[in-house]
Amino acid sequence: MKIIYTVLACLFFVAISNSQERFLTKNGTISFFSTSPMENIEAKNNQVLSIVDAANGQMAISILMKSFMFEKALMQEHFNENYVESDRYPKATFKGDLLNFDAIGDSKTKTQVKGNLTIHGKTKEITIEATTLKTADSILMTGEFFVELADFGIEIPAVVKNNIAKKIKVNFNFNHKPYKK
Amino acid sequence: MKTKKIIIGILILGLLGVFVAYKMYHKPHVNVADESADITLTANTILEDFSSDETMANTKYLEKIIQVEGIVSEVKTANEKGIITLKTNDDFASVLCHLSTEATKKIHTVKVGQTLKLKGICTGFLMDVVLIKCEFIN
Repeated sequence: MKIIYTVLACLFFVAISNSQERFLTKNGTISFFSTSPMENIEAKNNQVLSIVDAANGQMAISILMKSFMFEKALMQEHFNENYVESDRYPKATFKGDLLNFDAIGDSKTKTQVKGNLTIHGKTKEITIEATTLKTADSILMTGEFFVELADFGIEIPAVVKNNIAKKIKVNFNFNHKPYKK
Repeated sequence: MKTKKIIIGILILGLLGVFVAYKMYHKPHVNVADESADITLTANTILEDFSSDETMANTKYLEKIIQVEGIVSEVKTANEKGIITLKTNDDFASVLCHLSTEATKKIHTVKVGQTLKLKGICTGFLMDVVLIKCEFIN
């Protein structure tokens, strides 16, 4: 009988601590830039879901490809239909760990994030540098990195080769809040 | 005389081509406010569709203009854009409506608990169903 109570008590505390240690944002921002001699292309997505587990520094990000907004409707159409094939691959994901998570505090710290990035159905391991800031009620992460289109099997036709950069600069900004419910 | 006519003809065709190409390149984005909704439903129905079969719901709803009705559970602003959360029967999932710049100006009139109709473009399902460029429907 005693054991059952102990187990129940343990489960209860685990449940409590778990619910308090998950930080999330449903409106994170990811934007990307392609600079080429012909034209500059920019797209922004304000609907990124990002979750950080404050117990162990694991993080998971989900991105809807169709949420990327371009300046020109035609660019958006080409992006979705020809390049990332959003109908077949509607989401991009990242799963990884914040290295040295315990060192993050209430002053801005450079942190490495290592994990698997999946775009266009292809997965690649990457390490990104992020500026992080952790307080009692938020985990802020910002930074930028480059994505090489060839790594994710995204083919650019020869005709528009000069319009689209081979390496795309990606910026991110996540303000995670404690997840309650 | 004949060659002159041909040259003029080619020039006109060329100009037309350039004009069409220019028009296509500058094709405007869909204006949600001016378009009528493709599908009208409740926050509950769209969430149920996505949580039961996401692939099918994707083909049915993505990039369509969806008019959705639901009870407001949260109102907030991020990056100068309003976000309205519509409650569903599921405690953990909802319909997230990201407002257009125009609609954001009227966000102060929205109260938590009221029933609201919005239309926007569906971009998919993460934890919640996401609608963007949302406009209010009176």
